[in-house]
Amino acid sequence: MQSLDMTPAALLPADWRDFLALTKPRVMSLVVFSGVCGLLAAPAMPPFALGFTAILCIALGAGACGALNQWYEVEIDARMRRTAGRPLPAGRMSRDSALHFGVGLAVFSVLLMGVATNWLAAALLAVSILFYVLVYTVWLKPRTAQNIVIGGAAGAFPPLIGWVAATGHFAALPLFLFAIIFLWTPPHFWALSLFIRSDYAAAGIPMLPVVAGARTTRRHIFFYSLPMALAAVAPWLLGLTGPLYGIAATGLSTLFIVLAARVLSNRATEPSEMRPEKKLFAYSVVYLFALFGALVADRWIVW
Amino acid sequence: MSADDELIRKRQRDRALVMALLLGAFVILMFFITVAKTGLNW
Repeated sequence: MQSLDMTPAALLPADWRDFLALTKPRVMSLVVFSGVCGLLAAPAMPPFALGFTAILCIALGAGACGALNQWYEVEIDARMRRTAGRPLPAGRMSRDSALHFGVGLAVFSVLLMGVATNWLAAALLAVSILFYVLVYTVWLKPRTAQNIVIGGAAGAFPPLIGWVAATGHFAALPLFLFAIIFLWTPPHFWALSLFIRSDYAAAGIPMLPVVAGARTTRRHIFFYSLPMALAAVAPWLLGLTGPLYGIAATGLSTLFIVLAARVLSNRATEPSEMRPEKKLFAYSVVYLFALFGALVADRWIVW
Repeated sequence: MSADDELIRKRQRDRALVMALLLGAFVILMFFITVAKTGLNW
């Protein structure tokens, strides 16, 4: 694992832009957005500086996860086209620099969260970072096709952390937000892994399409989208949100199921013929943004 | 000074500048956190 350390480029001090790239800024945007929505959906609003700091800590925690993930998976990243240009596999940074940066960022984000908001939110942030790095990246991802099912919990923490940072306690609604992202993650990643299956196979990662084939994966995508839709509509059915969210959740989730059904009926094995899968993957990102946006609009505009 | 030395110096300068900006932002953030936590109105 240390062989990539001694490339000539790694002996230079790494460029600061490469440290930024380690944090996976694009992945971070969805994490930050769901954290902001969790915070804004809470019944109590903290002062702006504290709310801003809470979101900053969630973003820094997510950045730490990205850095530690890349530190651990440098050899896997080097074997995948999609990730071969990252700072570590490309030899632009030493592994130790990435490790120190990731651990430092993680510790800093948790301490700042505790000082600025409350220690329950800080503990949740610490659990989410440890879960992502140790349970998902180190334990599940290289070992089981169910990696994304359990590992999805790591990405489901931000709205819960945002809510707890604002209120200091748990409630039913943020637990539903947790459940929505938890159930959304498998169909989202399985749709992606269907059309980049060869990348995962080359890297030796046992994603579902690699281990069980496209047909089983398509069935899983469809059947996971059903409880996900139920979790999305449940807060409205239980009276935790207003009609704006209810209508949005029903419409968005119905479309999700329709697109998942198209994936189910597709028989293609070549990535170039996997339009339904690509469509579902793209829509799944829009779905989460729109659903959480509707929740905040419902809380601030209508309800 | 060789081209490599120049590149090393440039990277060090850039990183020092980014670090200084981040530390400055942190000081300002801590100021506002303290104001919010103590409930001061100003």
